[in-house]
Amino acid sequence: MNTLILFPVLFPITAAVAFNLITFKTRASRNIVTASVIIVNFLLVLLAFRFAAIPELQLVKTNSILDIYFKVDKLGILFSLLVSLLWICTAFYSFEYMKHEGREKSFFTFFTATLGVTLGIAFAGNLFTMYLFYEFLTLVTFPLVIHSGSEEAMQVGRKYLKYSFFGAALVLAGIALLYMSGSNFSFTGYGVINTVDVKSRGLLIFTYCLFFVGFGVKAAVVPLHAWLPSAMVAPTPVSSLLHAVAVVKVGIFALTRVTYYIFGAQVIKTIDSIYFVGPLVVFTILLGSILAYHQDNLKKRLAYSTISQLGYIILGLILLNRDSLTGALMHLVNHAVIKITLFFCVGAVMYMTGKKTIQEIKGIGKEMPITMGCFSIAAISLIGIPPTNGFVSKWYLALGGLHENRAIFVIILLTSALLTAAYLIPIIITAFFPGEDYRPSVSRRDPPANMLVPIVILTAVVVLLGLFPNLVLNFIKVIAVEVI
Amino acid sequence: MAAAANFPLLIILILFLSSFMMPVLKRVKAVKWLSLSSILLCVVLSVLTLAYVQQNGAFLYKVGHFEAPWGNELKIGYLEAIMSIMFTSIAALITWASFFSADYEIKEKNIMLYYTLCGMLLASLLGILYSNDIFNCFVFIELSSIAACGIVVVKDKKENIKAGVKYLILSSLGSGLVLMGIAFLYSITGNLNIGFIHQELVKVKDLYHNTLIISLGLFTVGLGVKSAMFPVHIWLPDAHTYAPSSSSALLSSLVLKAYILLYIKIIYRVFGIEIVKTLPILEIVLVMGAVGMIFGSILALLQKDLKRMIAYSSVAQIGYIFFGIGLGNILGLMAAIFHIISHALTKSALFLIAGNIIERIHSKEISRLKGIGIEMPITLGVFVVCALSMVGIPLFAGFNSKWNFALAIIDSNRILFIAVLVASSLLNALYYLPIIINAYFGEENTKDRVYMSKEKSLGALLPILILAFAIIYLGISSNGIIDLIAKSVSNL
Repeated sequence: MNTLILFPVLFPITAAVAFNLITFKTRASRNIVTASVIIVNFLLVLLAFRFAAIPELQLVKTNSILDIYFKVDKLGILFSLLVSLLWICTAFYSFEYMKHEGREKSFFTFFTATLGVTLGIAFAGNLFTMYLFYEFLTLVTFPLVIHSGSEEAMQVGRKYLKYSFFGAALVLAGIALLYMSGSNFSFTGYGVINTVDVKSRGLLIFTYCLFFVGFGVKAAVVPLHAWLPSAMVAPTPVSSLLHAVAVVKVGIFALTRVTYYIFGAQVIKTIDSIYFVGPLVVFTILLGSILAYHQDNLKKRLAYSTISQLGYIILGLILLNRDSLTGALMHLVNHAVIKITLFFCVGAVMYMTGKKTIQEIKGIGKEMPITMGCFSIAAISLIGIPPTNGFVSKWYLALGGLHENRAIFVIILLTSALLTAAYLIPIIITAFFPGEDYRPSVSRRDPPANMLVPIVILTAVVVLLGLFPNLVLNFIKVIAVEVI
Repeated sequence: MAAAANFPLLIILILFLSSFMMPVLKRVKAVKWLSLSSILLCVVLSVLTLAYVQQNGAFLYKVGHFEAPWGNELKIGYLEAIMSIMFTSIAALITWASFFSADYEIKEKNIMLYYTLCGMLLASLLGILYSNDIFNCFVFIELSSIAACGIVVVKDKKENIKAGVKYLILSSLGSGLVLMGIAFLYSITGNLNIGFIHQELVKVKDLYHNTLIISLGLFTVGLGVKSAMFPVHIWLPDAHTYAPSSSSALLSSLVLKAYILLYIKIIYRVFGIEIVKTLPILEIVLVMGAVGMIFGSILALLQKDLKRMIAYSSVAQIGYIFFGIGLGNILGLMAAIFHIISHALTKSALFLIAGNIIERIHSKEISRLKGIGIEMPITLGVFVVCALSMVGIPLFAGFNSKWNFALAIIDSNRILFIAVLVASSLLNALYYLPIIINAYFGEENTKDRVYMSKEKSLGALLPILILAFAIIYLGISSNGIIDLIAKSVSNL
């Protein structure tokens, strides 16, 4: 039953095509269908794990490069579960939120298609298949970014395309360079490149840098991050899901694949690539935090925060030891949950009150206590204060830094944690302690259940993962053992 | 199947005879069907020729009684067989498409002339392709120039005449240079038959080093002008923009390619790659190709007129092909030949689409194409396929081209040129994607547009649908064709 792997990828895409053709009579019926498609797809993902005897599938192989091959391994399972669960939350949230954005048909079509493409990346078994879905991801998310259709959105959309295609082109060049060295490209535990000699060293460094920058575009590595804050013009569910989970995490996921499953940790260590990519990562962490501090627009502030947090994850990846990789993958999961909660809260404020900037939200905590309460918990977690999940991942990242005898990285992590506090705490303070000139409004207006329930559930997850991290942690430790 | 050896000559004769019959016919409809049916017959004959070549290998065909070097010869190998299938089938599709657009674009009295010229053009292009005699090639070049200018001016408007004259002058200049190149070769080898010239050149190459440089230089510039190599492409944008769309499609996808194929023949058969490598010409071709890849795209980016943009995009794509030839290795040549095919498919589709759009919205301006994806969903759907192929998204033919170029670059140890490839494909994205975006998205763009309101009939759309299918097919399963190209390259 190997073909089972294909279902989670193709089912949403097929459904999306169908959505485009069917005209739903009422909004409710579309919501029910969309929700069931996404939930069924989650079950399909589980089914694929359970019943695919040999979890790999050679779909098309027409020549040595055009080789579409799927394989489910532990990293893929981690990512696909994360994606499909968060997709369900976002679906319910968007049913309510998209009411005021309009053009829901187009939104849910591409929203569903993106799920399939993202799972395609999760299940890709070789570099080419991943590249293929990586390109498709750009194409299916583009309509979501420009959803409002305004002139500004179109401009941002063009920027998004330019950045993405630039990245993809670099990746393709990287694949071509690797191809000439004659290795195969299926993702394998310790990498497929075995030997590094003096002659090939320079070329390997160059190739790795191409991949790093290429995938780094989606992972918003400075200086290729500019599209991410701009893309905040998209509706909040898009910002939260795509720009906290799907798109940016796909960049990270792809980098993990290339680093550990193509090059192999040993090779990366031998070619000392950390000296080339390390500075970029440090810049990303610090610059993201510093710029976040200067944003008035709440969504933009969160976007820059994303850039900085993604830097953490990449730092964990390139430190190349088990603890750092564990930390990185933990943070991949945790940051996704935290950031989606934060975005949902900000979106809820926008939806209920239309307020977008930090000055406007004075005293909003009194009006929307549950929403802002959840926001505070998620914010605390992002800063890295126990007992939340952010603490766990940062702990492992710090351990990883110490392992390498590079205390500098720990210092950077701590500095950035302080900066994180500096840009998140003021939001909480303004929300709950408006000062004396604030006249409380009478109404309590937390958002409707469709939006509130996902927020509360996700906040609960944030805390639970902090209290009982072992469930995820053990799984990730197994992954780390398999690749380093 | 021994008779199949006669098919190439038969193809040329059928096309010439049918096109000379056209002026005699009275009814336009009869002319159209004669044109299409003769080309379709040639498609069948070309396929049979390929089958024959696959069985018996490349063969020389003696025209008339005399043996070469006195008599004329055709040489049919894999390259000729594949290319003749491509030429005839794309010409058939374009002819089919022109049935639906000619009445709109060409005056009634000129329609018969148009089909006559098309037949002559195709025949002479195939003549260039098949002939193993370099002077014979020249004759066909001249014929094709006249016919090509003819299908540009057939629209009979002021700007057409201007573009046609510009094309005619530059094209004649190109032919003149080619003729001089031939003269130099003749003076040192005493032969016009390609095989014999090569034999003699191998003997005298050390004596006439400079003559060889001059001669190959003349061929390069001469054929470069005719196939719009950067920077001698200046005739192309005007000619492609003002010609009827079906003519532009023919010019861009086939006419340019025939001259490039002749250039490949001159490098690999007349001179031989060993001799060419001792001359500095290929390096120049490489650089010109690379510069064309970038500047063609940049110029395309600046255009406001849809057809002019596609025309400049051709300049860039021709740059790719010359770039592949200039790399001077087998992989480069294979990439160039593959790109000849993939570009012919894409560009003919794009020009036909441009024709459809211009006919329906009565404007060439790119800025007027907003929301057209709603009104002409099928046409624009094919446009998306072509654009994605141009950008080099996997599963489309363009990706395979680009991939082959990348491999060829690495194989020739000039890794820095990968940057050119990357930059060029990004530039492609920059000018194709905005059209798609504005066609499908944006609130203002899509307001008040009626779904399918301006679409053409399915019959008119059939050619571009077939081309789109071919682009995807070449993108997914390119192995067969690559194998054939590999065989043709090894037998050059």
